[in-house]
Amino acid sequence: MRKVVLLLVLALTLSLFVLPTSAQLPEFIKHTECEVDLTGETITIYHFGDISGPYAFITQPLLAGLADTIAYWNAHGGICGAMLTTDNKDTGGNPAQTQAHYDYYRALEPKPQLIVLYASGDAELLRNQVAADQIPVIISAGSVEGLYGEDGQTPGWIYATNPLYVDQLGMFCEFVGANPAEFPDPVIAYVSWAGAFGEAAFMPEAIDYCAEQGVKILPEPQYFRPTDTDISTQILNAVDAGANIIYTNSLASGPALIAKTLNDLGLLDEVKLSGVNWALDTSVGLLGRTSLADNGLPAVNGMYGSLPFRWWSEVQHPGVAFNRELATANERALSVQNIAYILGSTLVDLYHEIYVRTVNRVGSLSAITGSDIKETLDNIDYNPLDMYNVNFANGARRSTTGNRIAQMFFINATMTGPATSGDDAMKIPNPDGTNIFVPILVPRTEVQDVPDLRPGN
Amino acid sequence: MASNIRPAGVFDTSYAQDMKINRTRTSRFLANAAFVAVLLLPLLTAEGGLGLSVVPAVWVGIVVRIAIYTIAVIGLNILMGYTGQISLGHAAFVGVGAYSGALMARLWGIPFWIAVPLAGLFTALVGLLFGLPSLRVKGFYLAMATLAAQFIIPWLMRYPMERLTNGSRPLEVPDPQFFGFSFGPQVVMYYLIIPLAVLMAFLARNLTRSRVGRALISVRDNDLAAELLGINVFRYKLLAFFVSSFYAGVAGALWAFDIGSLSLDKFNLALSIEFLAMLIIGGAGFPLGPLFGVAFINILRENIIPNVVSNFKVVLPNVFPFIAVADVESSLVPFLFGLALVIFLIVEPRGLAYRWEILRIAWKIRPYAY
Amino acid sequence: MEALQKFYRENRTLVTWLMVAAVFIVFYLLTQERLNSLRPSRMVQTTITGLLVGGVYALIALGIVLINKASGVFNFAQGYMMLFGGMLFYSFFSTPNVNPLAAGALAFGTVLMVLAMNGWRELRNLRSLGIGVAAVVVLTLLMSWQGEDVRMLRAIVGGITGSVFVGLFIERFTIRPLIGQPLFTMVLMTLAVSEILKGFVNLIWGSVPISLQIFSGLERLGLPNTIRWEAEFLQGRVVVRTDLLVTFFLALAAFVGFVLFFRYTNVGLAMRASAENQQLAQSVGLRVRVILAVAWGITAILAMLAGVLQGGASQLDLNLPFVAFSAFPAVLLGGLESITGALVGGLIIGLVQDWGNLLYGNQAGTELMPYLVLMIVLIIRPDGLFGEKRIERI
Repeated sequence: MRKVVLLLVLALTLSLFVLPTSAQLPEFIKHTECEVDLTGETITIYHFGDISGPYAFITQPLLAGLADTIAYWNAHGGICGAMLTTDNKDTGGNPAQTQAHYDYYRALEPKPQLIVLYASGDAELLRNQVAADQIPVIISAGSVEGLYGEDGQTPGWIYATNPLYVDQLGMFCEFVGANPAEFPDPVIAYVSWAGAFGEAAFMPEAIDYCAEQGVKILPEPQYFRPTDTDISTQILNAVDAGANIIYTNSLASGPALIAKTLNDLGLLDEVKLSGVNWALDTSVGLLGRTSLADNGLPAVNGMYGSLPFRWWSEVQHPGVAFNRELATANERALSVQNIAYILGSTLVDLYHEIYVRTVNRVGSLSAITGSDIKETLDNIDYNPLDMYNVNFANGARRSTTGNRIAQMFFINATMTGPATSGDDAMKIPNPDGTNIFVPILVPRTEVQDVPDLRPGN
Repeated sequence: MASNIRPAGVFDTSYAQDMKINRTRTSRFLANAAFVAVLLLPLLTAEGGLGLSVVPAVWVGIVVRIAIYTIAVIGLNILMGYTGQISLGHAAFVGVGAYSGALMARLWGIPFWIAVPLAGLFTALVGLLFGLPSLRVKGFYLAMATLAAQFIIPWLMRYPMERLTNGSRPLEVPDPQFFGFSFGPQVVMYYLIIPLAVLMAFLARNLTRSRVGRALISVRDNDLAAELLGINVFRYKLLAFFVSSFYAGVAGALWAFDIGSLSLDKFNLALSIEFLAMLIIGGAGFPLGPLFGVAFINILRENIIPNVVSNFKVVLPNVFPFIAVADVESSLVPFLFGLALVIFLIVEPRGLAYRWEILRIAWKIRPYAY
Repeated sequence: MEALQKFYRENRTLVTWLMVAAVFIVFYLLTQERLNSLRPSRMVQTTITGLLVGGVYALIALGIVLINKASGVFNFAQGYMMLFGGMLFYSFFSTPNVNPLAAGALAFGTVLMVLAMNGWRELRNLRSLGIGVAAVVVLTLLMSWQGEDVRMLRAIVGGITGSVFVGLFIERFTIRPLIGQPLFTMVLMTLAVSEILKGFVNLIWGSVPISLQIFSGLERLGLPNTIRWEAEFLQGRVVVRTDLLVTFFLALAAFVGFVLFFRYTNVGLAMRASAENQQLAQSVGLRVRVILAVAWGITAILAMLAGVLQGGASQLDLNLPFVAFSAFPAVLLGGLESITGALVGGLIIGLVQDWGNLLYGNQAGTELMPYLVLMIVLIIRPDGLFGEKRIERI
């Protein structure tokens, strides 16, 4: 298994740039110049989240991405000479643990100047506390409540590096409304995991906005649990109510289970599947291998979703090439080369820029406080590894705005494009008797700004 | 009762003396000293305004949380320790208290010093409802009824009452106000919650050593015999549910006002189990049990286990190459927590408070163990 | 209050049935509109799916009932024993070359625990020692048998060996020392064991979900993924997943197997005797410790089976044990001591869940309904559908 995946990784990285092996970071990364030398000092990336619960598929590769990139960074000069290290903890998806871990970080001497969180639920829980303690927080993707409070108008100390979930749904509706040939009479059913993350995008603002785009969202959402064996009842409820598109705010096994159920029920042709940015991920493609549609490809083939950054298949892009090189050098399996690995590596680059700017302004690393970092974040406009744009300078928005809609396909045997059926697809036999199909994401739109669907706008 | 053992020659000479909680001068002195020390704690931090920073500021928050947990576990102690009815749904009742307190303040602007006891009362009524099965069942069956509360209550709050509770989304709690004076900073909340916790503990102690408490204990020890003695078993069981949920509700409301933001996921089964563990480790049926249990589990979770884990983080993956570094922490925390519980249950199933009593007696009757 | 109590005592049957009627009327009124708009195919689909999903619940419930029958402990750790068994099965299933040393160590541990069931001095008995050594050798050979074709055999032997080890280990080191302690100490103990198992599984197998392909063989046998049934009166299509169907029948077969085992051996009777009164059972010559150990061993095997089937139908991950929370109401619904009850209870809970999802949405089926049913059962018929009537005053 391991060998097969390794071979695959090697095969896919044939057309790579060879990164310079000097002690310098690659050319394409354009940071603000260091004005203060930080040699001998240490910058810690504090982060905690659900590593063992339902989000393990996302968080484990994130840890890998962070670890690989930090090792690379430290071997190439660090941040102005300062070495990077991490301090991470697991919440297991339990909010009581989140609180306990936050208390641990808050009590550290010196107090962390910046913390990284994963789950939007954690951000919602800690929103008031991080503001009181003056610790800015970066999370990957956020809910309205976590970033802007209940009224949607009170930005706190939390910043997101992905578009808001509700904005992503709004943008998907724009796409659907603009392609009537592909989506005749569109009716979206919201089928998702129960809980803070799964229900985050289902807001009245999204329903209204989609109606303006000519897309109806069914008022009755359908929820299921990550442990459910069979969700045919939920899917049929949605379809009976008239849905021909399913939108899901779940990840890993969530979208894979929906696709499998659609396939089993023979509804793949009638109902299109779409989802949040986490749904368009390697993990979904790999988990989806067990349910093959009539054309021999996994049932998740053709799923739509948000792709707010560069993807692994865009091999010409230097940032992608950098990630591939890193993953190959560290022998990372295909399942690790996913969305979260990219987030981990870009996070390190973002840290670099944040710290250089802040140190340049403040004068020394030890003098930096949380509010200094916040000041930097409030004015930042930077492209981490050139893979997406982080711009919090234009007003009060605390999440990134660039996004595009993409589709998930599976690579063909000649690695020239998406496979059209199971016959011409690249198949790698798995010891358990199934075949692994290699997922690729094909963008359908250019990067554009997502609508702002916060309450009150 | 073992705590009645005193050195030879020390007797109660009046009823008032017999009814004292602290029977000896030493114990009264120690209790008062502990209370004063706890009250002084925030002043010794950097934020205390005295220019001292002897104690890390974060302790203030930790002590507040210990106090809130202790109130909740005292409630559980009345139900389980004194009345012998298992509850696997205590976290749900804490959640009811938290949400009802927060909603009273949000919807009707009820000041928090009224909202907290009202939330307690409301929770007590809900608890009474889920105590009704105790009319017909006991033991595991009753445990299951409380487990049902742990599933039914959060669901009701999440979906049918979504308009009120924000469902899966967080609910913001207004800052507690006292006649226009805001209790924003943690230090002020500290001086509010600590005396309240002491008061609640005192009330519980007085309840359990009164007629009611003895009736509850008799229900626990043998309900048939209790009924023969003329105790209305059903009424006392319901009373236990009522009081226990009242404590849970007060703890929840305090929690809500302290943290300022609620999410339903917090009041899950894991928290119920944690309460259960705290009570049994501390010593069910002992007045000091809840405090010991809460403090011990806090220390275990936040000091002992992280230290052990950080050592294993390097060792384990080196010895066993198939273990991933990322998994070490997430797996060792529940593993060690479970292991500590198992060892505790085998070595000292009656809890820390029992051991404390034994030590106390040994101290009092030294040097002679007559 | 007093008057109310008196009224209830005098008219217990009437009150009970009035409550049942009220519940049904409320349910009917709530669902009337939705029911009328449903096509028959949906009802058939939901009924079949619910029953099939309930098969695994029945298996979990059976394990809990067994433990309860033998030792009077409600095993909250059943879910995590499931996860552990499933993971162990997966390891033997997916590794073509099992390390003979590891297999040998596992076999040795299991045989040691089995021999020491009635105390360590059994190890001085040369005859049992000989049998033990032979068993270790055979088990090791079976478990490290290489090749793709025998993986199912390897996995079954390995899974059973490992599960028995864990079951006996739990009984020996956590349950036995607690004999005589109050009920809630036992409850907390099984919960603590759950935490340990969770940590252990996470440490060894990681936290990323694993797909257990036990049903990929069905395709090679030429079986379709789904069975579709269309008919006029259905006004639609009913689709049955083959893997769920196979899961269901395997669960049922296991169930029947264990029922026969108890019918034709006196283990079941001995278990009941020891649960009723351990001292008395001991004094009439029953080896209570062995009985308890056997019960835990069998329960561990049942848990493994449930874990494998559930993991095969969905996936193996650290959330799998939450399935057991659907099975707990099934146990009480059927009756804490009744094996038939476990089956019927499991199926009913499966049905109730899916029908709840069909009629109400908002997770009402999966999360709310099992426990609502539980509450109703507790109030109306606390002994469950098939449980023994306990003659005791409360």
